[in-house]
Amino acid sequence: MKRTLTALGVAALLAISTAGAGAQEYPYRDITTAVVWGAGGGTDSINRMIMAEMEKHLPVGISVINQTGGVAGSNGMTYVMNQPDDGYTLVGLSESNVTAAVQGGWDKRFNYWHPFIVGGSPDLISVPADSPYNTLEELVVAAKAAPGTIPAAASGSGSIHHLNLLAIENGTGATFKFIPYKGSAPGQEAAVAGEVALVVTSLAEQAPLIAGGQLKPLAMLTPEDAEFDGKTIKSAFSMYSGLDKYLPLKQAIGFAVHASASDDVKAKLTDAFDKAIASDVVAEWAAANNYDIGGQSGAEATAIFDKLESTFAWTLWDLKAAKVDPSTLSIPKP
Amino acid sequence: MEFLVAQLSGFSGSLTALVMDPVTYFYLIPAVFLGIVFGALPGLTATLAVTILTGFFGNKFPLEYSLIALIGAYVGAIYGGSYPSILLNIPGTAASAATAMDGYPLTKKGRGGEALGITTTASFIGTLFGTVCLLVFVWALLLMSKNIASPEKALLALFGILLSGTLMSQDLVIKGWIAGLIGLAMAMIGLDPILSEDRYTFGWSYLLSGLQVVPVLMGAFAIPQIMDGMRATVMVSDMPQIGRVVPRFREVFRRLPGISRSGAIGTGVGALPGVGEDVAGWVSYGVGKAASKESKDFGKGSVDGLISAEAANNAAIGGALIPLLVLGIPGSPPAAALLGALKINNVIPGPTIDPALILHVVAILVMASLTMFLMGLFTAKVFIMILRIPQTVFLPVVLVLTTIGSFSVGGGINDLFLMVCVGLVAYAMNVMQYPIAPLVIGVILGGLFDETFRRSLLISDGDLAVFASRPGAAILLTLNILLILSQIPFFKRAARRLTTKRKETP
Repeated sequence: MKRTLTALGVAALLAISTAGAGAQEYPYRDITTAVVWGAGGGTDSINRMIMAEMEKHLPVGISVINQTGGVAGSNGMTYVMNQPDDGYTLVGLSESNVTAAVQGGWDKRFNYWHPFIVGGSPDLISVPADSPYNTLEELVVAAKAAPGTIPAAASGSGSIHHLNLLAIENGTGATFKFIPYKGSAPGQEAAVAGEVALVVTSLAEQAPLIAGGQLKPLAMLTPEDAEFDGKTIKSAFSMYSGLDKYLPLKQAIGFAVHASASDDVKAKLTDAFDKAIASDVVAEWAAANNYDIGGQSGAEATAIFDKLESTFAWTLWDLKAAKVDPSTLSIPKP
Repeated sequence: MEFLVAQLSGFSGSLTALVMDPVTYFYLIPAVFLGIVFGALPGLTATLAVTILTGFFGNKFPLEYSLIALIGAYVGAIYGGSYPSILLNIPGTAASAATAMDGYPLTKKGRGGEALGITTTASFIGTLFGTVCLLVFVWALLLMSKNIASPEKALLALFGILLSGTLMSQDLVIKGWIAGLIGLAMAMIGLDPILSEDRYTFGWSYLLSGLQVVPVLMGAFAIPQIMDGMRATVMVSDMPQIGRVVPRFREVFRRLPGISRSGAIGTGVGALPGVGEDVAGWVSYGVGKAASKESKDFGKGSVDGLISAEAANNAAIGGALIPLLVLGIPGSPPAAALLGALKINNVIPGPTIDPALILHVVAILVMASLTMFLMGLFTAKVFIMILRIPQTVFLPVVLVLTTIGSFSVGGGINDLFLMVCVGLVAYAMNVMQYPIAPLVIGVILGGLFDETFRRSLLISDGDLAVFASRPGAAILLTLNILLILSQIPFFKRAARRLTTKRKETP
């Protein structure tokens, strides 16, 4: 009898305390952001930077951890999915995570998340410093003369850089021999060593090699030219007119909260995010690291990720690199 | 010349930054102490010290600081093994097995303190010797490595696995190769690096990202050590009296040529992929026996013999870090654990490694050897006391640390299952006298071999000539073939016949 009474008392106390917590305004305790990619990478450093900035506009602290592994970051996304959707656990992610579903990492579409896009670095096509090709046109002419023989590096199958390489092929009519690498750095190293004739990765990743004179930039894969190290890198759009059908496909790095989180949580996060994005610190960081600021959140960011998801999913399916048919996940065709 | 000045100023900059940062000592002193303790306790090894700290620091501490602790423990443990070797004739680590040959006879003669002092000094100078070689050769190799493409990398990885198998075997070389091939097969698990197909995952999503480095290291190096230690506990009854530890300066000066010779041998052996401090100690001891004036005293308490082993095994540290930093190929088993630490922090060693990191590593080595030297000279009595701790007390503690380390990096229960499975396999191999180091080298270099071998063929459209047509690849291919042929009985006999014939006809 006594035990039952104690149990009832404990239950009552618990009920009161949870009710009390519920009444407290978000956020009243620290937030954790789980980045699905490794420490030191682009997504990791962007999240650490933006979270430090957002902290200034929130009454609580944000700690950043890494939950890596799985397929296309599925470990980290599953981890956050299993946490309550109360806005205390965020997920740090990038455009590459949209392939997790079609690659069999998990069974959710990307709109499971309510995303915030900090930005991304534009892709470009470069060749080794001692390459015989000095312009994109020369490279394309050579590739057309011997289709599928010029080796090209662009990270792994189904990465944003690989899709950019495919877009260049589609837009110019050239075909290269795609050689996959585990990540951008090994692909760039291979270009420097002369193992491949060209490499497609982002400006942020190539910056030290271009500055060091080891890679020769040929063209930006964005509509705008880019200024780098006092020189202009021309846009490929000015060389081939049909490219706008396939490009630009741009990195989208940022973080997300459960789409099922309350409107109050989303509004609070958006407010802090907008203030952080507008700060000088973010602008300076972006300029120093060759990133473009995005700043989209909510519906606008979801639309960007929807487009990325459909492009990535269907491209992978067409390349037979996907395990799950995108139509079974009701991902629309691009 | 300009290059050298730039290097030296860069290095002194890193060293000053390290010396001035108070946090350094917070990591360095406990790590070196822990390393010496691990080295001194029979059953705990340098590899284990570095592995456990790799798991402990994981990716949760800044790499600059965790490297201080890892390298500090590495240097300390290689040196610490000399205590029980000299005092009790029980090598604390495999690296100090050669130390016991002359160290223990010296103790029996009542010169234990002198032996410890000269060992400490030799270890210190040896470490510095290896460090200087690291600073010089790493840049030369980095310049060369820019031209290393997939075919060379594949052959280099294969060479590392084979060489480690050849030199780490206790009885039959083929056993080392088998261990290496098992490791190579383990590296195939997960998504393949070229086409992203899953291999040997049996539909289990945990295996898609491949076998995690830290649990494999823990399982392979720690579990068999602990199980063996618990089976045969060494009881230390009476501790011999030692005397003055701090050596006389003149004595050290007189031994300097021997120390330098041993340092050079140690660095060279250390730089060979997957071959560690223990081999360095024995090779240098062997060379010392041939070269020293005291050669007839070797094994009976020769100070030269002691120096040959100890200067070499510590110099091997700097050597082992050269291929690690330049090519991502660990030069010794503890360096394999260090590679694991770099990997979980997303640092990929290779031509694009941050030069500041290399200078930082060199600066840490200098600081760590200095700390080891001072601790060894002035707190030797503490370490001798630690030798009395029974293994039944510290081995369970180590097991708990190992488990925490495996768990903390990935944070999943599956990592623990992996650790236990690898541990049991490694234990069985240990019982059958298969070396474990080639297995770990196989796991670590297997992925690199798989990826670069297949990529070479992808680029060459399946033409195997790509492995012979490039000059670098051709040299490496020859080395690989020679290594294999040298173990085939027919060629072994032929070689022996040739050498004897040459001796007969002077």
